[in-house]
Amino acid sequence: MTRGHLMPLIHIASIPLRRRAAHSRLLAVLVCGYFFTGVSLAAPSPDTTWIDIESRGLDQEVYFHAWGGNPQINQYIQWIAKRVNQEYRIDLHQVKLTNTGEAVSRVLTEKSAGNHDNGQVDMVWINGENFASMAEHHLLTPNWVSQLPHFKLTNPDHNPAMTRDFGVPTQGMEAPWGQASLAFYYDSMATVLPPQTLPQLLHWSQVNPGRFTYPKPPDFLAMSFLKYALIVLNDAQPDSIKQRLYRPASPQAEAALLPVLWQFLDRLHPNLWRKGQHFVSSGMALPRLVGDGELSLAFTFSAAEVPAAIGRFDLPSSARSYKMQDGSLSNIHFIAIPYNAAHSDSAKLVINFLLSPEAQAKKQQIEVWGDSTVLDFSLLTPQQQALFDTTTLGQDHPDRIDDSSPTATPSIMTHYSASPALSEPHPSWTHVIAQQWLSRYGAQQ
Amino acid sequence: MILANSLFTRLVRLSPNIMMTIIAVPILGGLLGVMLPAMGWLPALETSEFGWHGFKQLFDTPGIMSMVMLSFTTSLISTLLAFMLTVLILASYFSSPWLTRIQRLLGPILVIPHAAAAIAISFLIAPSGMLSRLMSPWLSGWNSPPDWLYPHDAMGLSIIIGLTIKELPFLLLMALGVLAQPGIGNSLRAQHRVALSLGYSPMTAFAKVVFPRLYPYLRLPILAVLAYSSACVEIPLILGPNTPPTLAVAIMQWFNDVDLSLRIKASAGALLQILITLALLAIWWLSERLVKRFSVNALTNGKREYADPLWQRMTQLLTLLLLCVIGLSLFGMLVWSVAGFWRFPAALPQQWVSMHWQSALVQMHTPLMNTLLIGACSTFLAVVLTLLVLEAEQQRGKKLASLSSVIIYLPLLIPSITFLFGLVWLQEQMHSRNAFINVVLAHLLFVLPYVFLSLASSYRRLDPRYSTVAASLGATPAKIFCQIKLPMLLAPILIAIALGLAISFSQYLPTLLASGGRINTITTEAVALANGASRRISAVYALMQMFLPAMAFLLAWFIPNIIFRRRYRG
Repeated sequence: MTRGHLMPLIHIASIPLRRRAAHSRLLAVLVCGYFFTGVSLAAPSPDTTWIDIESRGLDQEVYFHAWGGNPQINQYIQWIAKRVNQEYRIDLHQVKLTNTGEAVSRVLTEKSAGNHDNGQVDMVWINGENFASMAEHHLLTPNWVSQLPHFKLTNPDHNPAMTRDFGVPTQGMEAPWGQASLAFYYDSMATVLPPQTLPQLLHWSQVNPGRFTYPKPPDFLAMSFLKYALIVLNDAQPDSIKQRLYRPASPQAEAALLPVLWQFLDRLHPNLWRKGQHFVSSGMALPRLVGDGELSLAFTFSAAEVPAAIGRFDLPSSARSYKMQDGSLSNIHFIAIPYNAAHSDSAKLVINFLLSPEAQAKKQQIEVWGDSTVLDFSLLTPQQQALFDTTTLGQDHPDRIDDSSPTATPSIMTHYSASPALSEPHPSWTHVIAQQWLSRYGAQQ
Repeated sequence: MILANSLFTRLVRLSPNIMMTIIAVPILGGLLGVMLPAMGWLPALETSEFGWHGFKQLFDTPGIMSMVMLSFTTSLISTLLAFMLTVLILASYFSSPWLTRIQRLLGPILVIPHAAAAIAISFLIAPSGMLSRLMSPWLSGWNSPPDWLYPHDAMGLSIIIGLTIKELPFLLLMALGVLAQPGIGNSLRAQHRVALSLGYSPMTAFAKVVFPRLYPYLRLPILAVLAYSSACVEIPLILGPNTPPTLAVAIMQWFNDVDLSLRIKASAGALLQILITLALLAIWWLSERLVKRFSVNALTNGKREYADPLWQRMTQLLTLLLLCVIGLSLFGMLVWSVAGFWRFPAALPQQWVSMHWQSALVQMHTPLMNTLLIGACSTFLAVVLTLLVLEAEQQRGKKLASLSSVIIYLPLLIPSITFLFGLVWLQEQMHSRNAFINVVLAHLLFVLPYVFLSLASSYRRLDPRYSTVAASLGATPAKIFCQIKLPMLLAPILIAIALGLAISFSQYLPTLLASGGRINTITTEAVALANGASRRISAVYALMQMFLPAMAFLLAWFIPNIIFRRRYRG
């Protein structure tokens, strides 16, 4: 760039803050115009646009903000980084978050400081209330998902789940990445018959006091357990009331739906670990407590983590995972691009690769991550479908975890079919449940 | 003194201002960045109306009073305990060779980052921890872990244990540092001997003769400990209750909450935290006055003994207990890092494996390089700046103004959780996007005061006659500084470097926030893993966290020995 090109930037730095936003937007328009004029006149079709994105996105760095608490998932992201480096010479860095809120916080700080085009977060792994919150504050880039060639493979026109996040329309702000459902696991040396339904869980905890707990809200796993309980406990209610769970929470809906949850928790808590007076802060502490023998029953969103943890000696080889017969909470998780991402084109290339049959098939392997694909099988070619055949692919996998307990993996499969999927309530419920939980149980002295 | 106007002297003259700027701007800017949102000004959330609703939200939080009380009691009690233990140990072993031995045994604790210490202690006292395993099942009859509430007890006793164990070595080291200064140490020891010859028993002699003169030197370190423990995050996060947690932990959680509007409440909470810390400092200062006032008679009443043997015995017992707790915690960490599966009552794991070290070492490469590089840069800057400021003092012929010395210690007295979030906002405001530089500057805030604290007394003690002789022989100030002062101060400089590195290695929040999570260090990984599923991997990281600063201190002790031995031989 010549010196003349730099002048507007220097000029902007001296403008008072409130006006700077408007100025930089103007500048962005001018710059975009400068770059785009040649292209937009030539061919407006979406495929050409993708070619532009591809050419602009090559050879850059991408910062992927993703929860980093699971070694298996981190390893899978490392593999993605290797592959996108081969394909596009992109350097993908995972910024390991302990809580996705940290990324939300970062983008918000950048926005309040007037950094509208050079943000540090290029892509973020997100769903539910984090998405709702970022969308509400206009922190995400809208309408880019349909540009991705692989997005069509999710069959978005016939599968509304791909464009709704906890019931909220995604408006092209985030691309689906995978789907997970709540699975329970238990130490078969400590308890032979784990509970199969929520009422059984109450009874089981009376027989085995202190051997089960859930984390403290607003932890992600805590909210998942509470939402599972809320849905199951209201199952007997008429449909008109049940449906309110999938719409924004209102005082009437709360009065109709929440009391059964608090009644249930009031009965459950005295028999929880530490008599329900202390709840672990993070869901990640649950496997450690099972490993210590303090808990005999816990739950997770990635059942494949159980055999992996056994391989690392973090869980006893007697640990088994299963799903509750009265349903398991399922949700889709997404990747979004913040509105001010510095390398949004490169991020799109990475996300398109995440949606490729190759990457999706690898992610679904139980020894890699075990996260279900979002692709629609009917849209895949036979070769692509073959990638998902785990029996052929699992063999030559180099960094496969040495599973010292062959019985654990099959045990995941046996109970899966019997568990109906429960869809996530509207994200506004998360806040309502967390708030009321905290005022009921958050301060106990 | 008349000085040549060389580049060096100009740099020296400028250095105090540079130092004040480096410290004051981020802290004041950071505080501003918290105060504005607390008053309701957060344009990114489309709220820019000034008002009190942040504080209203804060005081409507369920359990807010318990949070405040927990912060109050845990920090006050732990500081008091650490202080009393320091005094007891000093009094019992004042004229015994055991004093330096105890210091050497406790020294390693000083360099262990708070997070690692909390992880180690939590494993010791947990229901399935080392103590309970050693007693089970032969004594306790437990075949599965008991369901008791330690750690995480609502009273915060576990936090108090953790903080006391962590702060005691710091206070002890500070006291021994004062006693090591020939001017003070020798005269105190002589007065102690006089008191003994007058028939005072050793501990009483210490309390009546040595302590009143020693205490003023300990006041600042104690206040720093008090301020730190009232707002520290790592230890209450790992050892404390969470229904509700301490205020500092709650503030951090609100800042990171999904619900963005909670940031207003968090900012209000940060201001409340400052008030709490200030109130604690004021309480300490007031009680100090009261104790002084009411103990004057006791000091001069001529009584020679106050059940001294009993106190002596108790101190020995406490010291032993303390050393056992520390030893067992470290042992537990070591065992976890090589443990296969380890079912509850077994005191040792069923199998021993090296896979945790292997897999951690493979992934540790980048964080390790980051840790070393950031530590080296921030420590280098801090040491150079400190030396220049101290040189400026000598050239000017007077000590820093009292305002300046207060500013230097600001980062120790103002809880970091209150200004760090604002600092991120400030760095954004200044469009400072180089994560590495941001982190080094943030670390510098915390490294500088400690380096200054540890170098100042040696530098000020340096005999001015050497410089005078050199100057009369025609040496320039730069030459005197480089060829006379620096070599004479080699040992304290190396210790200051080691301390600076240790402080930089242990920073968690500043690294996380200033880098926007882009730069991983051993400590950020260790804290992230401490919340994670694998205690074995987190034990590896915690041990690495202890190993790095320990190496720095070992080098700092060995290098002067080697150099001076060679010089004397040659």
